[in-house]
Amino acid sequence: MTRPTLRFRPLRPAVASDRPSILDLLLTITPPPAAAEANRRERPPLNLALVIDRSGSMGGTKLSYARKAARFLAGELTSRDRLAIVSFDDEVQIVVASRPVADPQPFIAAINTIDSGGCTALFDGWRAGATQVAEHLDPAAMNRVLLLSDGQANEGLTNQDQIAAKVAGLTQRGISTSAFGLGDDFDEDLMGAMAAAGDGTLAHIETPSQLADLYASELRGLASTFGRRVSLGLRGKHGAEVVDLLNDLKRTGAGNYQLPNLRAGQELNVGLRLELPAWIPNQEILSVRLAWEAPGSGDRQSLIEHLQLPVMAHGELDQLDGDEAVAEQLALFKANRERKRVITELDRGDVISASASLGKLFGDLSAMPATPRLTRELDLLSEKLALLKSDPKRSRKNLRRESQRSSLNVWESEGGPRD
Amino acid sequence: MVKVFTPADALYGLEDLLLVAGKLLDEEISPRTVRLYATQGLIDRPGKEGRSAVYGHRHLLQLVLVRALARRGLSLSAIAPFCVLADADLEQQLEQLDGEGAAATAPSANEALQYLRDLPSTADAVGAAAEESSSFARKAAAMGSVLGMLNKPLSSRTSDNGSRWLRFTLAPGIEVHVRDSVLPPPAGPRRQQWLQHLLDRLNALLDDADR
Repeated sequence: MTRPTLRFRPLRPAVASDRPSILDLLLTITPPPAAAEANRRERPPLNLALVIDRSGSMGGTKLSYARKAARFLAGELTSRDRLAIVSFDDEVQIVVASRPVADPQPFIAAINTIDSGGCTALFDGWRAGATQVAEHLDPAAMNRVLLLSDGQANEGLTNQDQIAAKVAGLTQRGISTSAFGLGDDFDEDLMGAMAAAGDGTLAHIETPSQLADLYASELRGLASTFGRRVSLGLRGKHGAEVVDLLNDLKRTGAGNYQLPNLRAGQELNVGLRLELPAWIPNQEILSVRLAWEAPGSGDRQSLIEHLQLPVMAHGELDQLDGDEAVAEQLALFKANRERKRVITELDRGDVISASASLGKLFGDLSAMPATPRLTRELDLLSEKLALLKSDPKRSRKNLRRESQRSSLNVWESEGGPRD
Repeated sequence: MVKVFTPADALYGLEDLLLVAGKLLDEEISPRTVRLYATQGLIDRPGKEGRSAVYGHRHLLQLVLVRALARRGLSLSAIAPFCVLADADLEQQLEQLDGEGAAATAPSANEALQYLRDLPSTADAVGAAAEESSSFARKAAAMGSVLGMLNKPLSSRTSDNGSRWLRFTLAPGIEVHVRDSVLPPPAGPRRQQWLQHLLDRLNALLDDADR
């Protein structure tokens, strides 16, 4: 079976032999490409529950788009797949109990009956959808809950950490969760926490017309999933110490880091900073262990790689130019992290500091050699800076989503590159 | 990943235990390691059959968990809080170790479903459950006040390298520290069993200290 590859891309290709040094590097994980025969090969069956918020605020256009997108989803699935549709306001309604999608018509008819109602019992809705998936849990399928909400959980369990802990518990038992926030009022922190705990996708959708694109992308993502419950273990050797992990990944129970799902043909980068004592040649600096679960099997697979680099005198080392592609990716990671600081400032009500931080970040990035990715990042930043004045709430939502690009599968409507 | 299913009622001599655990972990374990862990309270004291020690499923779980965590660079004192957990929780801890050297089985449909059924469904039940988890702290605090410790904070959070510890003062000069990732079982027989287990451990440690 084909396996992913793990590459070390140091910013500078050596470490100092005569004094302690800092080593910045990227770990690049490349799952095998979606092979030509993969299109002919059958994708794993899907076992999904679509959980739709129908609280009062979803009324009108939003709900009509949600219905339309749900019909689209039903139409894309086959008789090998299962789908359940659950809607919730202050009560949970099983619109269609989980069943194979031999014919989308019954789903479509049922979807059309969803009307908007009262409060947002988000957790109960998730739980009902999850139960539908669990009743037909198939280790050979991709088992996932798709949660769509435009609001804040205000009925039932509403505490973000508690909800995330429960979602994480289900992930460990084989069912993942994607969280899709719609419009201007959803709780971006809650949705981000659920998608992270759920080993799924996070999406912010500004207009409901994007829903069908999102579902199509989610189906492609599910079909091309190469590894789930992906973990990364890092060990500095011989006195080398990992002092920073730029992606701000969540820790797993065993002290490793949780990576997003590996998808065929989609590269994943992790940014690291190590501190090294004066280095003796031919010593291993770092060992990395990547572990994942292949869809369709409960077995975990793993891959271990070791890093060694040549040594040179620090004077010589300082003369070396950094690898530009690596420097760019590291800067993008830092920009994602910096967004979190901006959010903290915003939450303190300190718009001036938030603007200043964004401005400084913009300045730092614009000093780097221009590339298409950096240019796009600068566009995103200046957009947020403008929004800070006109629509701070939306600016915060977008900043939150962008800050999570280093640690999660985040859906981007423009189909831009992922970080 | 190594998958070995061992029956819950299996009994092992020391050598058998080393063999089974060694297979699970894919490493050789020395008898000294096991004795060291037992003296440090990471593994329960073995049972006795005549003059030889007898180990059970729980000992195996504890040994595998300690080794698996130690291999990840955790210190034994950081591991200790996990070792007093009930068997089911030990199994779950092992399962969370990303499958490495764990006796974890593939998640079954029933497991996910059972998990969801065990989640409280209504707001009221949720509130009750939230109270439940803090009741351990409150009960311990209440115990402290019974013991006349009114002049000191009865429970406080201390931070240690990012991990958080709950600190309970039971009596003057006697404290219990609980890492907040350790979830005491809910009130009821399991809680009693858990506390009894801790008490037995403490008893054994006090005996050791006397010697």
